[in-house]
Amino acid sequence: MAAVDPVFAAAYAVTVASVVLVFYALTAHARRGSVSLSPGRLVGLTRDEASRLRSGDAVFLMHLSIALGVGLSIANSLLVPVLGYVPLLVTLILVLSVPLIAGLVASFAWRIERFVRSKAVERGLKASSDFTASSSYLQLILMLAIALTTTELAVLWSPSLVLAGSAVGVARNVLVAAYYSRPSVNLIGTYDKPLSGMKVPFNLAEVMAGKTDPESVRVGVGKVSEFDPAERLSFDSCVEIGACEAACPATAAGRPLSPRVLVRKVSLLAASAEDGSADPFGSVGEDELWSCTSCGACVASCPVGVEHLDVIYDLRRGLVAQGKLDKKKSAMLQNLAENQNPYGFKNSTRAAWAEGLGVDTVAANPDAEYVYWVGCVSSFDQRAQRIARALSKILKAAGVSFAILGSEEACVGDPARRLGEEGRYQELAFQNIEKLNSHGVRKIIATCPHCFNALKNEYPAFGGRYEVVYHTQLISNLIREGKITVPPEKVQKVSVTLHDACYASRYNSVFDEPRAALEASVEDVREMGRRKEKTFCCGAGGSNYWYEVPQQRSIAGIRTEEASQTGAKTIATECPFCLSMLDDSTKVTGAGMEVRDVAEIVADCL
Amino acid sequence: MKSVWVYSESESVSNEVASAAVGVAEGAGAMVQVVDIGASRPGAFSPGGKLLLKGPHPDITPALAAEALARAARELQPLVLLTGATRTGREIAARFAAKMRVGCMAEVANLSADGASFSGDRNVFAGKVVARVSCQFPAAATVKVGSYPKMAAGEGVVQEKEVGEVSDPVRVVGREKKAAGAVDLKSAKVIVSAGRGVKKKEDLPMLEELASEMHGALGCSRPLSADLGWLPEEHHIGLTGVTVKPDLYLAVGISGQLQHVAGMKDSKVVASINTDKDAPIFQASDYGIVGDLYQLVPALRKALASRAR
Amino acid sequence: MKIAVCVKHAVDETELKLDANGSPVLAGAPGKMSSFDKNAVEEGLRLKAKHQGEVVVFVVGTADSKKSLKEALAMGADRGVLVTSDPLSLDSFRVASMLAAAIRMSGPYDVVICSEGSSDTYTGQVPPMLAEFLGLPYVGYAKKIGVEGGAAKLERSLEDSVESVEAPVPFAVSVVSEINEPRYPTLIQIMQAGKKPIEELVGDQVAPLGDYSQVGVKSMSSQPSVRKHVMIGGTPDEAAAKLVEALVKEGVLK
Repeated sequence: MAAVDPVFAAAYAVTVASVVLVFYALTAHARRGSVSLSPGRLVGLTRDEASRLRSGDAVFLMHLSIALGVGLSIANSLLVPVLGYVPLLVTLILVLSVPLIAGLVASFAWRIERFVRSKAVERGLKASSDFTASSSYLQLILMLAIALTTTELAVLWSPSLVLAGSAVGVARNVLVAAYYSRPSVNLIGTYDKPLSGMKVPFNLAEVMAGKTDPESVRVGVGKVSEFDPAERLSFDSCVEIGACEAACPATAAGRPLSPRVLVRKVSLLAASAEDGSADPFGSVGEDELWSCTSCGACVASCPVGVEHLDVIYDLRRGLVAQGKLDKKKSAMLQNLAENQNPYGFKNSTRAAWAEGLGVDTVAANPDAEYVYWVGCVSSFDQRAQRIARALSKILKAAGVSFAILGSEEACVGDPARRLGEEGRYQELAFQNIEKLNSHGVRKIIATCPHCFNALKNEYPAFGGRYEVVYHTQLISNLIREGKITVPPEKVQKVSVTLHDACYASRYNSVFDEPRAALEASVEDVREMGRRKEKTFCCGAGGSNYWYEVPQQRSIAGIRTEEASQTGAKTIATECPFCLSMLDDSTKVTGAGMEVRDVAEIVADCL
Repeated sequence: MKSVWVYSESESVSNEVASAAVGVAEGAGAMVQVVDIGASRPGAFSPGGKLLLKGPHPDITPALAAEALARAARELQPLVLLTGATRTGREIAARFAAKMRVGCMAEVANLSADGASFSGDRNVFAGKVVARVSCQFPAAATVKVGSYPKMAAGEGVVQEKEVGEVSDPVRVVGREKKAAGAVDLKSAKVIVSAGRGVKKKEDLPMLEELASEMHGALGCSRPLSADLGWLPEEHHIGLTGVTVKPDLYLAVGISGQLQHVAGMKDSKVVASINTDKDAPIFQASDYGIVGDLYQLVPALRKALASRAR
Repeated sequence: MKIAVCVKHAVDETELKLDANGSPVLAGAPGKMSSFDKNAVEEGLRLKAKHQGEVVVFVVGTADSKKSLKEALAMGADRGVLVTSDPLSLDSFRVASMLAAAIRMSGPYDVVICSEGSSDTYTGQVPPMLAEFLGLPYVGYAKKIGVEGGAAKLERSLEDSVESVEAPVPFAVSVVSEINEPRYPTLIQIMQAGKKPIEELVGDQVAPLGDYSQVGVKSMSSQPSVRKHVMIGGTPDEAAAKLVEALVKEGVLK
């Protein structure tokens, strides 16, 4: 056996030390952020990443290349002493390195593009020079880490450069420990947090019952110290990747919001204020917060699990608590308080759309299998009422037994909750749950994804547990089961492209069913580039339907353009808000496209 | 003979209030007196002769006018003081009533009287209910502007009454005319509103002229202001714009999305023009015409013009 | 600075029900703070934010009126005074005299703020009457209030002009809705305000009915608010002429 070269031995020792440093940093951040690094979490994360792999998202693939590249080079550096004995392992590592090097090079190129764009975004937002400097610094560190990892993997191909490779690896490991251990821990902590999950700062029923003193209730954030440790870990984990910014509809429309800039500003503010008393609204603008449509593209696209929406909701709640609402927003909340709908219509006229259709109320037909939750838009908007009528026609044709709540239905509360008025939301939620439970309702159909999301994912926390089905799901089931059939001559000879609603697709993974329904009823279904869980917002979510923020172009306009590029003549929607936004937009852009709900399209074929 | 006083805030208002006063005077067996303060105002017709209160400066605040009227009333004992239900008239009548310790009816129309009391109609609960209110003499009331024809101007006997100087701790230091033509959709009685049926910006003046011929203001739906920028934001009627409640809302080329309807649903009468017979706006309308606005707007203007002749 | 704000617990006209004869059912009708009064409360809170002191809110009404007081307290007012009486039997004169008595009992105040009128009956008479009863200088329809030392500078919004005036402190004022954007109190803030003090006075005791000619309601009738959905056909000229004729008949076109 050859004597150990002391230089190599020293280099190996330093490498091992740098790897230990990385693990130390990981465990330290995990401890501070109360994140479990258990094997179960790690396996779960791996599964989650594997499932995302199937989506083939470019940003994700690049990010995975970086993570795996780092992993491979660390593994290689640790295995150096044994590699000489296992030539197969060397070959394996070399083979694996090829796609990773390609991914890393692509990542580097993308980083340059993001760098240029992010600086343009910052100029548009009039970000301070300090902010821009800090942002550029982090982006350069990221580029450096990518470059170092790429170099290290490339050097594997040239055995004479082993020492140089070790040096590069050690430098990269120090960067990983310093900058990327926290985001890694954050990802381990949040990868399985559902997009629909929202912090519940109090339970109104307990406050009403006197179990919680209203004085003790704190809603939202008024100073940076009020962010909880998990949020803090989340926004401190931003390393300027910019995936959120690239996906954000508000940024695309030139609104005063970039999710990247927002979380970084909050993080810098939290770091600068020693006692945590800093007023976040000194650096985060009100319109910046109101620009968010809560579409969730930022959170879904972030490779390190930053929860931008939590920060935005907490700050919005802070604004609401401070009374910083303009007339349009406060009028909407007032309407909810006084009329149980956000428009100010008399709630007693809620079922006017059903006149003459023979649709029962639950009170009249308590044995109905489903309750159709109509929602405010389809109840009061003369255009969207056609969705409700279309669904009723389909359900009747299929022999599904259903009823509506009529004037007992109130707004589900989503607009209040997304705006930041948790109390009004819970008031409506408890009221609705009481009504539903008093009628013994078990199954609910919804045609609005905001209602659907609240009923399905949010109401259980307040005691409302129902089997909630989205209308596109039910329709595709009815078609599959042969309960409704579209005869060949009734298949419509039109070209249709489906605009996925964020709260159906990204929030609730409902995207195959509306496609199945369309495939059965129209001749030509086309796809937009951004679709399914990667859909692009219509601009109405997050209560944006009720107010306006400054912007260079409309979000709906961007989407309408994408739709018209498919060459389709009809935009199919599955949400009454999307329908309204895109309908307006097609009139303005002159795209000449028709906008119709999936239910309307299917109903026409019966 | 007892008198019914009409405070002459301005020629046009007092000519209208005087018409209302005639009915009250007849029912109560009294005479109408138009009351000027400081100096005789031209034009105001006064069947029972004019009363000129001397002492105060003619350009006075409502507080001073109320004080001058009260001083004169204590001696002359009018049955009732009527003012127009303007911002100035409301304050004068209310202050006068407080000083004289009498009741005051607000913004009434269809006034009538018998020997001891008088009554009038007023809109309450956002115009959903008409209340007939009444009050014993002596009293005060403000008369709904626009509910009576203007009485022709004329001359009358002038009776003078010295009331002495009055003073108000509130000093007027400046007065500026509100910019003419500024859109005040909230207070407009008639609104013509343009939607996406209008094909190009150059066609808007046609609707602007229609609006002014109907003595109204021009509004629009969201796409025209927010997306196309054809009209400034303050014209935008709807959920994310202003909420209006005019007597007449004429929707031209507006499809009637909830976004828009939520901002005008409380209008008294809604008429709409749209090429699409299924346009949701017709569900929110009292009168609807299915047709091309480019034919109907000129036709409407012609119909209005022929009516004016 | 001591600031008194007067609000009305008005009938919620959107919830108004009609009886068989078409008259509105007012007894027990749901109420809410008159919308313009929120501007009055907001202006009081803004003055307090600038000059420190206390905002006290007054309401004349039944026990139900406490809801409006609580809303004002939730917005940030310090305490409330309820003058109990049945507002449906009162005219502006009586309301103003009860408010004046209650304000005098807990005063003196530097500023007394009302809104221009109530959303249900909109007489606009209470503020000037109140000023008369309190013997305070009064500025009606203010769209801007600035207090500096012992004097205030205000802008009045009249039909066709804006008047700048100066008033000594103390003074009474009515505000128009354009003066500010009232803050929205969250449901939790409303609940938190439950602990703020509310004093109760009996209207007929603090301001006994004197001898004056009270305004009374003889009758009420409703105006139908359902849309007619009349579709007008014919050539453009015919349709336009018919529409103009119909609108003139409705009395909405002069």
